[in-house]
Amino acid sequence: MKKIIIIAKKEFLDLLRDKRTLVRMILIPLLVFPVIINLVTMVQSSAAEKEAAKEVNVGYVLNGQSSTMIDNLAMIPNYNFYEFSDSTVLRDEILGDSVTVGLHFASNFDNDYNEGKTPELSLFYEGVNQEDLGKVKFLLTMQDSLYTDMRMQSIDKDYGFIEPFSIVNRDIGDDNELIAKYAGGMLPYFFLAFCFMGCMIPAIDMFAGEKERGTIETLLTTPVKRLQIVFGKMIVITTFGLLSASLALLGLYFSLNFMGMEGDFMDTIKGMLSPGLIGTLYILLVPLAIFFAGIMIPVSVYSRSFKEAQSILTPLNILVVLPAIFGFLPGVELDYTTSFIPILNVVLACKSLIGGHADMILIGITFFSLIILAGLSVFISVKQFGKEGNVLR
Amino acid sequence: MIKVENLVKEFKLSKKQQKENNTSEKVAKAVNGVSFECKAGRIFSLLGPNGAGKTTTLRMISTIVKPTSGSIIVDGIDVIKEPQDARAKIGFLTGSTGLYERLTPNEVLKYFADLNDMDKATFEKRRDYYYDLLDMHDFKSKKIGQMSTGMKQKVSITRTMIHDPNVVVFDEPTSGLDVITAENIIKLINDCKNEGKTVIFSSHIMSEVDLLCDDLAIINKGKLLYSGTMEDFRTNMQTDTLTGEFIRIVNEN
Repeated sequence: MKKIIIIAKKEFLDLLRDKRTLVRMILIPLLVFPVIINLVTMVQSSAAEKEAAKEVNVGYVLNGQSSTMIDNLAMIPNYNFYEFSDSTVLRDEILGDSVTVGLHFASNFDNDYNEGKTPELSLFYEGVNQEDLGKVKFLLTMQDSLYTDMRMQSIDKDYGFIEPFSIVNRDIGDDNELIAKYAGGMLPYFFLAFCFMGCMIPAIDMFAGEKERGTIETLLTTPVKRLQIVFGKMIVITTFGLLSASLALLGLYFSLNFMGMEGDFMDTIKGMLSPGLIGTLYILLVPLAIFFAGIMIPVSVYSRSFKEAQSILTPLNILVVLPAIFGFLPGVELDYTTSFIPILNVVLACKSLIGGHADMILIGITFFSLIILAGLSVFISVKQFGKEGNVLR
Repeated sequence: MIKVENLVKEFKLSKKQQKENNTSEKVAKAVNGVSFECKAGRIFSLLGPNGAGKTTTLRMISTIVKPTSGSIIVDGIDVIKEPQDARAKIGFLTGSTGLYERLTPNEVLKYFADLNDMDKATFEKRRDYYYDLLDMHDFKSKKIGQMSTGMKQKVSITRTMIHDPNVVVFDEPTSGLDVITAENIIKLINDCKNEGKTVIFSSHIMSEVDLLCDDLAIINKGKLLYSGTMEDFRTNMQTDTLTGEFIRIVNEN
């Protein structure tokens, strides 16, 4: 054990002096959530402000009808109304982009309304101007309610006369369950991805890097067993994987609590981050990080150089992305099959915890299946490091 | 003392390697039945052209690779049966030995001392002895990546000798080094001899061999072509120069 600790201590010192390591394993995970959340919030609020300030130009053809509705609408700020003589001119103006939406009153609009009929109000627009169309439609819905009220008052009836019953939505489900169904896999995935990236640079540096620098021979001539060398280095790889994931979590916690960001999006994420979820995530992340280290070490041992190892390991990111994507899909749940699939099982376990319907037996199976995989990958790593053909390749 | 008997090392050849070497053999014998003995207090030189099997032999002695067959005894320890114990007796240095560039000499030496189970007092005494001997005080706390080749080689020498090994293995130790840096290595080899250590070094530079060695072995294509004292070698020479004699032996076999 003493030799394992000596090796681990040296590797920590060595890696913490590497700028590349510090940036990729410490700085990026720590800053990624504050930067992303800040950017999303900034873009969202700037887009909302822009949209609110944007003026909508609406054309209309009264066709000899009353201008009451247009007069009502023209009082609303940021809407400009322009009258045109007929629908052909209105079409041309819309196509020429001087107005984005056009209103065309039917020639019998007033009469039909007064007689209790349903006159036509045509809306002209180009499909690309959906935002302006939506805004105008919203205004017209309000006018529709106003006109209905006026009509009901004229016949001395209540609005309820034309609404025999109303539907009231009462969602008795847990909000968290809904969040878990559609977004529950996303959050743990980020931590898994950082854990994987956090393992990668040390794994490459400590095996392929050591081969490339010519220090591996020297290490192999010291009175240390190869098993001790692998274990010492594996401790460092696993720790850096967990450190990266922890720093990402810390960055997220900082963003949510100290950057003054509010809104449904923030509340949703805050709701997900329960102590139970974080605790379980860590319990599952430890064997998973060892498993990551265990698949990276044989590749790194085999590679001749840092670059070669990096070129083999980088595409392996897909191994993390793919199972996680399956975990995002609604309907994919933790069961007796999925609890044996690494990465996917961690995502699904977290998803079930967020949804509040976690089955502790399945989470237990997930944990033990990860332990078995971790053990297997350690065994393969030791075997591969013991092969002189790999080490001296 | 190092005793090597009937040492064989076979490497499996991949199909690509078979094609490249134009052979149908599935294994290549890098070392083929080599035997020799290096005595304490004497310098033994392993000579041979490139690809002769020198490095493989030295790597087997240093326990980096396992022999296919044969035996190696280092300071009374069977290298194959007890590699870890054997390693504690060995210091290993090559011309291309790398060092941890982000660490300082102090940190590198402490690391190797700890791996060799040295106590603090002995480590500090040995370290300071080499710092004085090789004039290393000015750069002992500087990162190795910022050092010159000469400085790095001094750190490598100290790293090799820090645990006071009884057997020192040098694999082409001066290869690629400038004259001044190479001189430090040659001095170290002589110092090891004077301290009664067993020294084995590989080389293909005859002037170095002439200057240093007491005993020598010549190998080519994995086979031992000559083994004896330097004195006998000189006496029985059939050509005018050591280089000429070396070439003659290699070509005749």
